[in-house]
Amino acid sequence: MNESSNTATRNSRDKILNTVHGNQPAPRELPPLPEGTPVAPGDLAPTFITALEAIGATAYIVSGFDRIATMLHEQFPGARRIVTGCPQLNAFAEAAAAAKGLDPHLLENVELAILPAHFGVAENGACWITETQMVERALPFIAQRLVLVIPHSSIVPNMHAAYDRIAALEAEAPANTYGFSTFIAGPSKTADIEQSLVLGAHGPISLTVFLLDEELSDAGYF
Amino acid sequence: MSGSNQKPLEVPEQSEGNEQGSPQWGEPKLSSDRTDFNALPEFAKLPKANSRHKQDHAALAAEFNKDEPRVDWHDETLWWVRQKRDKAAARVPEWELLRDTASRIKDNVLSNLSGYLRQFEEEATRNGITVHWAADANEHNEIVLSILSRHKIDKMVKSKSMLTEECHLNEFLHEKGIDVVDTDLGERVVQLAGEPPSHIVLPCIHLKKQEIGEIFHEHLGTPKGNADPQFLTHAARLHLREKFLTRRVALTGVNFAVAETGEFVVCTNEGNADMGAHLADVHIASMGIEKLIPQRRHLGVFLRLLTRSATGQPITTYSSHFRRPRQGQEMHIVLVDNGRSVHLGRKDFRNSLKCIRCAACFNTCPVYRRSGGHSYHTAVAGPIGSILSPNLDMKKYADLPFASTLCGSCSNVCPVKIDIHEQLYKWRQVIVQEGYAAAGKTAVMKTMNWVLSHPGVYHTAGKTGRWFMLNAPFTVKNGFNTWYRQRDMPTPPKQSFGDWYKKNKK
Repeated sequence: MNESSNTATRNSRDKILNTVHGNQPAPRELPPLPEGTPVAPGDLAPTFITALEAIGATAYIVSGFDRIATMLHEQFPGARRIVTGCPQLNAFAEAAAAAKGLDPHLLENVELAILPAHFGVAENGACWITETQMVERALPFIAQRLVLVIPHSSIVPNMHAAYDRIAALEAEAPANTYGFSTFIAGPSKTADIEQSLVLGAHGPISLTVFLLDEELSDAGYF
Repeated sequence: MSGSNQKPLEVPEQSEGNEQGSPQWGEPKLSSDRTDFNALPEFAKLPKANSRHKQDHAALAAEFNKDEPRVDWHDETLWWVRQKRDKAAARVPEWELLRDTASRIKDNVLSNLSGYLRQFEEEATRNGITVHWAADANEHNEIVLSILSRHKIDKMVKSKSMLTEECHLNEFLHEKGIDVVDTDLGERVVQLAGEPPSHIVLPCIHLKKQEIGEIFHEHLGTPKGNADPQFLTHAARLHLREKFLTRRVALTGVNFAVAETGEFVVCTNEGNADMGAHLADVHIASMGIEKLIPQRRHLGVFLRLLTRSATGQPITTYSSHFRRPRQGQEMHIVLVDNGRSVHLGRKDFRNSLKCIRCAACFNTCPVYRRSGGHSYHTAVAGPIGSILSPNLDMKKYADLPFASTLCGSCSNVCPVKIDIHEQLYKWRQVIVQEGYAAAGKTAVMKTMNWVLSHPGVYHTAGKTGRWFMLNAPFTVKNGFNTWYRQRDMPTPPKQSFGDWYKKNKK
């Protein structure tokens, strides 16, 4: 900004703040936040999976990364460029280290991105994924298809619990203090033309979520 | 929609498509010269609404009402969206508690807005975001232009932002030679059609798929007569992907900004805000000063309410939290007042600043559903637009608070419990007192006031009216009687209640 526009902005800032201050009503206290009715007692995964399927995504409970690799081979046989943020899948795909720091435009031809996410939300099927898990901010959006991997035990009931969990994650490790983060709930979609739902607007045309349960036997996935 | 979503979308090859490079995932290449703004400057012409301003809501609604099947279709489509909202709300047992909590959080925001604005500025600046302040629409537009000029950039992508509609940013930038591409599918459709959005969540809800097919045929080169939503959406995906990859500046709106952390949240289903922002060197986010919330955990309340109220979805596909620019990127936030700080001082009307732009009040409104968004001749139409707009320009929008039946359905569905129908009623009184009511309306009101305050005149007028309605019905059943235009006149009683009472009291 040059100096004159800086001054103009400063003048507007003071003018706006003064008018707002003069016109705002007497202080009102913040209300307590609801905890929300738990969506289902016990294991939240079935509710989460139902929510995901309702928004056009697919979900599987799996026993380990070997199982994920096998299933991805079966489901995406033709994918030419695959990038993963899961080190366990490095043999299967381009590792995060290779893609990190690239000009994001060079990710344009990624056909499949496989990324870890922190947790899922049972009430709406959303997964919380922070910047460090995305390899590049653009990747979960620019890839033609997206796969997310979350711990089976990570599902929280609702958005109130989700924000409690986000705060806890940040308290646990400074690396979780994101510069960018997002909830992803399903494939990108639009219904702008006569309210007809179409999957694959600008982002991925499909979303698959793996709920990883290392305690399951190999035969335990579905 | 039919068809499996697991397979690549099959789109027939375009005859005009360029052949370079092998199309991936079955995607056709569209001829790029068909989408060049500079070659087709009429794309970005001033929205037709500018010329419509001379007509009021009633006149514009009458125009919309000429095509009765279209009105029915529009009405039913929006009612269907309203029903989806009802189902989504019913699945949340604490829905009413959520609405109440959201409304009270916003009460707190409005009561300490200056404090939260300062806190947000401090935190956002600490995060490496450049914060700008714009007193009005013009200053907002100049700030955006100055950022573009500094980088010597004349093309940008923009995701949905009702604020930039309010500020007429596209027209302003077009005049300065800047090419703006709206990337939300619905907004792109109306931009190509040279129209403003008719709905804040569903921008092209007034258009039929055949019309959209025609617009795409003309501007994007899709085959004539193809009106399949899946095909058209895919064509737009290809057309806009090229824009995302080549534009260095992206402007987005803001759904919520958090004072505590200096971050802001942008919600989309399409992913267009993210595609724009993460590929651009410069991200500009424009927000009205009322979009602040105190703490991040308050997002839990608002994100649960927003999309359920808007479309009946449990949440948007993407709820993106922007806190710091990515390495090497510039991030700007423009905080826009444009009348909001004055509005805050209007006790009866300040609650409308709680609005989170879900459009539930549009979808439920019997007037909106049957008059169409363009009849409101303002960026934010519907019941909420009718109470926000008079604050900006009471004379220009004096007709809008009258575009309502005062049925109260808008207030019933509002996720932040704005007393919309009460404010509509109050605006009517302010507008009449300030002398902005339509001349005919004012004359009728004055006459009625005189008649009702003179019992003798009232008695005679009643008698005369009954006589004419009985003996000369054509004197009231004609085009000059505005009441008669949409209503049948009642059969007059033989005597007034006054006469009946006199006769029977003994």
